[in-house]
Amino acid sequence: MADLAIDVRDLTKTYRTPFARRKVEALRGVTFQVEKGHIFGFVGPNGAGKTTTIRTLMGLIRPTGGSATILGKQLPSRAARFQVGFLPEAPYFYDYLTVAELCDLAGRLFGIPAAVRKKRADELIERVGLSRARGQALKKYSKGMLQRAGLAQALMNDPELVVLDEPMSGLDPIGRKEVRDLILSLRDQGKTVFFSTHILSDVEAITDRVAIIVKGELREHGTPGELVSRTVLGTDVMIRIAEAADVTALTDAGDRVRRKGDALSLTLPANADIDAWIAKAHAAGGKIVQVTPRHETLEDLFLRKVEDAKASPSPGGDT
Amino acid sequence: MIGRIWAIALNTFREAARIRVLYGIVVLVVGANLLSIVLGEMAHEETRVARDVGLTGMSLFGALTAIFLGVFLLYTEVQRRTIHAIVSKPIERWEFVVGKYLGMALVLTVLVVLFGLAMTLVNAVQGTPVTGNVVQAIVLAWFEVLTVAAIAIFFSSFSTPFMSGIFALAMWVIGRVTPDVEAAARTASPWIKTLTRITLEIVPDLHLFAVSGRSIDGAHVSVHGDFVSWGYVGLAGLHGLGWIIGLLALSALLFHRRDFV
Repeated sequence: MADLAIDVRDLTKTYRTPFARRKVEALRGVTFQVEKGHIFGFVGPNGAGKTTTIRTLMGLIRPTGGSATILGKQLPSRAARFQVGFLPEAPYFYDYLTVAELCDLAGRLFGIPAAVRKKRADELIERVGLSRARGQALKKYSKGMLQRAGLAQALMNDPELVVLDEPMSGLDPIGRKEVRDLILSLRDQGKTVFFSTHILSDVEAITDRVAIIVKGELREHGTPGELVSRTVLGTDVMIRIAEAADVTALTDAGDRVRRKGDALSLTLPANADIDAWIAKAHAAGGKIVQVTPRHETLEDLFLRKVEDAKASPSPGGDT
Repeated sequence: MIGRIWAIALNTFREAARIRVLYGIVVLVVGANLLSIVLGEMAHEETRVARDVGLTGMSLFGALTAIFLGVFLLYTEVQRRTIHAIVSKPIERWEFVVGKYLGMALVLTVLVVLFGLAMTLVNAVQGTPVTGNVVQAIVLAWFEVLTVAAIAIFFSSFSTPFMSGIFALAMWVIGRVTPDVEAAARTASPWIKTLTRITLEIVPDLHLFAVSGRSIDGAHVSVHGDFVSWGYVGLAGLHGLGWIIGLLALSALLFHRRDFV
């Protein structure tokens, strides 16, 4: 078995509502593994259980059942936390501190000597692009700046595993790209990065493996390639054909039909006979411009899993 | 361990130092001390009034500040989720609770010192030296304030600020009047006696820290005359320390079991 940074087995978390004592199952037997040196994307809609899973891994929440190890250490483990950097979701920090003081506080909690703390804080503040705002109190920071400050404090201990809860949240496109680059550079340094998000383009762009969680249950788990190449949804075709030509016979079988000038594009279903359709198009005087099989994207898969979950009985989870 | 606790304590001190209400309380106590000069002259008891006002202000506002800080500082960490970035680091939850308490204790110590300085200044204006009795009374008030802070932290570890404040205030009041409650219960029915005894057992004897004007072992003690010995002050301090350690241990236990969602 590969060297694992995170190994989660059958993790469950059940809450009881304060007065009605109704059971709310936030996690229902979640199992997944994260290999060392990988970037792992944890995807799910709001309330799916992403944050509950992460908070359980970080020791903020006690699981109801199941087990988890971080870097080979059974949780809860203080020793494991020495090797982990954590950025909470929508991070709230002591707003009277500056980013340097926040990093210093983090460094003190890791027992890092003062001189090393200062040097590392300076490097990280530079790396997350907060050098010009280093003298300002965090209460004056924008949401994106707070996210960067959170990243800086998460990396103070030079962690082996970095856990980021919605790190792209609140960032503009440039900020998102910078965080993506930072995550990639962490992997280049041999670190493992586990991050949650609902921004699927980020996941497709940088992750080695992805897990999709919906309603507290893991629905898919694999590399982005494995997950999205399983299904061909249809074939996108484009032809050039005279504007006056009757194309009813060609468009009957497809959907997403668009006609502009002499350009006709549509999507044929997955089970369509493409050769027969092309022959028909030629017979009608059309000229083939493009034939592209349309594979399922991560977004398609994600939406399908969410729809599947909606159709299944609700466990009542909402975290 | 010490480094982590100290980091939390320093941060708590820094956080508390930003609470403007504290500066209002300092101004109020200093103002009361200055007013005691006028009141003392009117009563022709300048020194007595100045010391009484100074020590009462120290004890009253010190305890109220301890309750205020105790019920809010721990609760807001959880409420504002600042605790997430802290307890996910290699710090034990009991270290966090102790660090929070020590930070508060540091703030309260500074306040007691400021209140003491204000009283000393007034005494100096009146040409009265600070006696050993006054120093002992200040130390006892300090012990009381630190004990009340631990009571407030204990309630804050599982309750809302409003409820914690009410519980802590009730414990402070009952702890202050324990001998009077005991005396009143002597003539009551047996079940009231039992109930009173149980209640008083679970409340710190805070009256031990405010002894001026009371009888101890049959002898009347007063900060203006014959007062307690340093041995008594030490024993009262140990009593307070026992409660502080016990309450912090319980708080840490409750805090350890909490989910931070």
